[in-house]
Amino acid sequence: MRFRFFFGEAIDSLVRNWVMSLAGIVTVLVSMFVLGIGTFVFFNVQRAASGVTQKLEIEVFIKNAASQDEINKLGDEIRAMPEVRDMNFVSKDEAMNRLRDSMKGHEDVLQALSGNPLPASYEIFLKDTNQTQEVASRFYDNPAVDNSAITNTARDPIKLAGGLSASATTMTVTAGGGSQLAKDLYIRVDHEIMRVTDNPVGDKISIARGLFGTTADTHADGAGVYSTDGVKTGGKTTERVNMVANYTLIGGSGFVVLLAVASVLLISNTIRLSIFARRREVEIMRLVGATNWFIRWPFVIEGIATGLLGATGAVILVIIVQNSIVNMIKQQLTFLGAEAVPTFWLLLAIIGGGMLLGSVGSALALRRFLKI
Amino acid sequence: MIRFENVSKVYDPNIVGLDGVNVHIDRGEFCFLVGHSGSGKSTFIRLLLKEFEPTKGSITVAGRNLQRMRRAALPHHRRSIGCVFQDFKLLPNKSVADNVAYALRVTGQPARSIRRKVPEILQLVGLGDKMNNLPDELSAGEQQRVSVARAFVNHPSLLVADEPTGNLDPDTSVGIMQLLYRINRTGTTVLMATHDREMVDKMRKRVIALEDGKVIRDEDKGLYR
Ligand SMILES: Nc1ncnc2c1ncn2[C@@H]1O[C@H](COP(=O)(O)OP(=O)(O)OP(=O)(O)O)[C@@H](O)[C@H]1O
Ligand SMILES: [Mg+2]
Repeated sequence: MRFRFFFGEAIDSLVRNWVMSLAGIVTVLVSMFVLGIGTFVFFNVQRAASGVTQKLEIEVFIKNAASQDEINKLGDEIRAMPEVRDMNFVSKDEAMNRLRDSMKGHEDVLQALSGNPLPASYEIFLKDTNQTQEVASRFYDNPAVDNSAITNTARDPIKLAGGLSASATTMTVTAGGGSQLAKDLYIRVDHEIMRVTDNPVGDKISIARGLFGTTADTHADGAGVYSTDGVKTGGKTTERVNMVANYTLIGGSGFVVLLAVASVLLISNTIRLSIFARRREVEIMRLVGATNWFIRWPFVIEGIATGLLGATGAVILVIIVQNSIVNMIKQQLTFLGAEAVPTFWLLLAIIGGGMLLGSVGSALALRRFLKI
Repeated sequence: MIRFENVSKVYDPNIVGLDGVNVHIDRGEFCFLVGHSGSGKSTFIRLLLKEFEPTKGSITVAGRNLQRMRRAALPHHRRSIGCVFQDFKLLPNKSVADNVAYALRVTGQPARSIRRKVPEILQLVGLGDKMNNLPDELSAGEQQRVSVARAFVNHPSLLVADEPTGNLDPDTSVGIMQLLYRINRTGTTVLMATHDREMVDKMRKRVIALEDGKVIRDEDKGLYR
């Protein structure tokens, strides 16, 4: 009965101050709408990012000299790492088969190879792509691992726009496309791999040709540059997607916070006005012995109701907008594929958020303007 | 019931409201507080309600010392005192019945007993047929009766009235006076500040006269003078 009375008082005041109430409701609506749509965008960018993640791997090359025991032990270690989602052993034969597949039409190049120069390897898939470097670095000092071959994109070497050019004495690696070579990188020509450390950061590096032993030739298909620290190398979809996801999150959160602050202030102003409009009533309430909370409750409910009404409007709008975007993408941008955020969570977040804004707004007004 | 011991109240910047007042009013008494405008009558009543603190001295109401009372106990203190003012102090957006009900609601009474008590008390003050009107739709005398009904609906042991007839014509004033008298007869202590010479002289009750914040006269069955 008490609640019904407070509720009635709150609604009464809401209706009597309807212009201000409406302003409060609309701000909550806008900020919760942005929150909802932001969640939708972020949800989908994340989804896209995790799709890319599946393709990403660390490939740990095993020394030819490693014993079966060492290989097994390395496999167990990898399996035990909490960051690892999945792993896969690629034997020397398997590696050769893959190379053959990728070189259809150029089989003659392979003819030149004596035996199988390819190392066996473990392919590692991670749960979180941000951890690639960190996990990869653990293998640098492993005795079973062919240190010169660790890479996080072994099967998808960075294709340099500038590529590789050779003169009689030097080879020049050019990044091109505006990207820069990393400080620490591996250069592979055919299957000879060379590590270049402390490379002065720039888009070009020259190496004495003699360093590449005997066969180095620049037309070979496998020419490429591997980076271990991965900074500023072009063409890394994963990092890009991650970056986009992170920026959406940061930018979106910032915007939502801004709008939330605006809503709180507006609601607090609404409540302030309704306190002001009822200051005589409040005085009378005190005289007849109303407790502080008896006086406060209607104002608190008024604030929460404002938040709730705005949030309800936002939920309806978000569901409509979200579904029409999803439908549009399904029809016109089929390759993208979008998905609506599960409605239940969306509802919960928005309604909860709206009520929170409402109660914070009224609490603020009560603290400042209802001195009891 | 009420005990003022050497009570002084000085308003900012330096205006004397009350000055060394000693008054003792017993349970069940009917008592007039008289004096010129600015003599300190309202100050006396507002101190009783603990609207503010005295500058000096101690006040006891119904055995409770107001200076030692905790803030949380203040609402209960106010509920134990019914109060009536010159300007009625009714809630303008609420019906007559809701205005009276408000005093019961703040005490947390169940809806059922509110529905029973409100018509009862309004009948008693002769407004049984105006329950659903807004205060604006009532005459001044009727509004003051609503306010008396609200003050008494909790059956407080003390009822204070600050110039309850100040805005009323003589005939209507008599009606209000009779109501207060009847309330006093139920055992409720009544303290009434007034300018109304005729009324005071007719009633022959205890009269406490103030001047410049001091008690200049306190006599039983007194006159306004
Ligand atoms: N809130 C206040 N601030 C400053 N001075 C005040 C305040 N209230 C009352 N006073 C002063 O205190 C003195 C006593 O005022 P009080 O209201 O008690 O008189 P009163 O006897 O009720 O007068 P009236 O018959 O006109 O109602 C007056 O001089 C008045 O100006
Ligand atoms: Mg006065």
